Amino acid sequence: MSNHNTIAAATEQLASAPLARPQRIRHFLSAYPPLVLFGILWMLAMVTVALLADLMAPYSFSQLDLNARLMPPAFMGGSPAHWLGTDELGRDVLSRLMVSIRISLLVAFIGTLLSATLGVLLGFLAAHFRGWVEQLVLTLVDFQASMPFMIIALAVLAFFGNTLTLFIVLMGFYGWERSARITRGLTIAANEQGYASAVHDIGASPWRVYAVHVLPNIASTLIVNVTLTFPEVILLEAGLSFLGLGVQPPMTSLGNMVGYGREYLQSAAWILLAPSLVIVLTSFSVSLVGDWLRDRLDPTLR
Amino acid sequence: MLTYIASRGLRALVTVFLVLSFSFFILRMSGDPAMLILSPDAPPEALEAFRRGWGLDQPLWMQYLVFIRNTFQGNFGQSMRDGSPAMTLVMERIPATLAITLPAFFLKLLIGIPAGIFAALHRNTLADRLVMSLSVAGYTVPSFVLGLLLVLVFAVGLGWLPSGGNASWQHAILPIITLSLGGAAILARFTRSAMLEVMGQPYIRTASAKGLTWRNVVRHHALPNAAIPTLTVIGFMVGSLIAGAVVVESVFSWPGVGRLLVSSVANRDLAVVQCLLLLVAATMISANLLIDALYGWIDPRLAQGHTARKGS
Repeated sequence: MSNHNTIAAATEQLASAPLARPQRIRHFLSAYPPLVLFGILWMLAMVTVALLADLMAPYSFSQLDLNARLMPPAFMGGSPAHWLGTDELGRDVLSRLMVSIRISLLVAFIGTLLSATLGVLLGFLAAHFRGWVEQLVLTLVDFQASMPFMIIALAVLAFFGNTLTLFIVLMGFYGWERSARITRGLTIAANEQGYASAVHDIGASPWRVYAVHVLPNIASTLIVNVTLTFPEVILLEAGLSFLGLGVQPPMTSLGNMVGYGREYLQSAAWILLAPSLVIVLTSFSVSLVGDWLRDRLDPTLR
Repeated sequence: MLTYIASRGLRALVTVFLVLSFSFFILRMSGDPAMLILSPDAPPEALEAFRRGWGLDQPLWMQYLVFIRNTFQGNFGQSMRDGSPAMTLVMERIPATLAITLPAFFLKLLIGIPAGIFAALHRNTLADRLVMSLSVAGYTVPSFVLGLLLVLVFAVGLGWLPSGGNASWQHAILPIITLSLGGAAILARFTRSAMLEVMGQPYIRTASAKGLTWRNVVRHHALPNAAIPTLTVIGFMVGSLIAGAVVVESVFSWPGVGRLLVSSVANRDLAVVQCLLLLVAATMISANLLIDALYGWIDPRLAQGHTARKGS
């Protein structure tokens, strides 16, 4: 890390020195490659849309207009009243897209947060107690890792029926095993280092040692792991909703839009192309930025 | 070697037991099956008869034992919709699924592994960047989007291939391509990083220093060592031969196990879902066991007590 800082400082010094303009641009671009910049901008745009969907959407996402069914987007010969066209019930695709982005991001965000919390807690427990607790956690990790998550998710949805709350909680079980594994490994290593035992020796509770001292030290690896989990949850949610088994109508999500847009693949492909593009660009952006973060934060990771 | 296999086998048994218990308890927690299948306003005698028929009037532990016994006798209950044995329904669908997942599996290996090796051996060249960009694109594009785009281009646009169904072998082409591209992307990435890891090892330098040709260094020293981490991914792919095509089968209306699962989930046909869950678990566990045995064979150190936990 310190080495990294020195390099960063050196780069900054170089950059602040009176350099020729192209060189300065090159320095900037080597630190922030254009694709990464694009990824960051795209993610910001998506978060803005998710937060402001109500204000930005030109129509209500469920408002029908049976006189304007299956209108093509404005750039494909439609009218500027519906920039991205309308669907089979005359609902505005752009407005639905915005609300879908909100729902999909919300599901993925809460799901990822739950999964990271669960994984970190179990990882700490395993590293703290060792013995049978650790064996139990590791067995659960093995079990989770050996089953395709989509099958487990489908089984749970079949058994319990589907509500939005259950669905989000279910997404919260995706990928917990990876953060549990990482947390356990890093915490065991941290416990052998001086700082953790020093804090413990001056009387801090285990809770304090882990939450205040160990967690910040292993956070960078966990954050990188979150950037892996987040796009996967987006894709999982999209896949399940596409199958009609995720977010249920009248609510809408990106996968949901693709799912019913499929019926109109031949006549009105725009219904499914817009949400597909958003899904792909979002998971692509998060993965790119995640890769970039990994190289910067934790070069030891694969 | 034997103790190694035995310890792996024991782990597999524990996992089987976990899956069985998971599916049993989650089924019972989800409510009274009698209420689900019959309607809540069915006559009480009918509900009572149904509960007796399914053994639901027994204490829970008794039900659990009966469930375990039935499972090991291959009795997974009847489909709650049309009364035919769940196992038969599932078995009927397996050939159709394998007809697309097996060719896709071999295509993944044929594309993914050479691409990964090539990228690693030409690190930081244009070719490497190209392979890696394609690989990132390959796993950030979900299979249903890829499938629908292929349909849009090759079925709707060009009219070369059918868009769905399974009437002829041409119908299998698009599903197979869709399935293999995503998997090949993941495999290429894994193979590349495994190769890079190995190529940085001192024994590679030694091998080239003692005058071996580059070809021999790669073939006899790098590849076998890089095979080990790659095997894990391949194992997962073998394990998902049965259930790895849930989404793709739906996109192409391919009548395989995946579509059966989706329709059973939608209809809450619990016996069929449970049967599929157990079948998938059994496939995954056998594949993992097979891969563990292969590890022991490729890398004898693993079998001789250096059983460091994978990934910790």
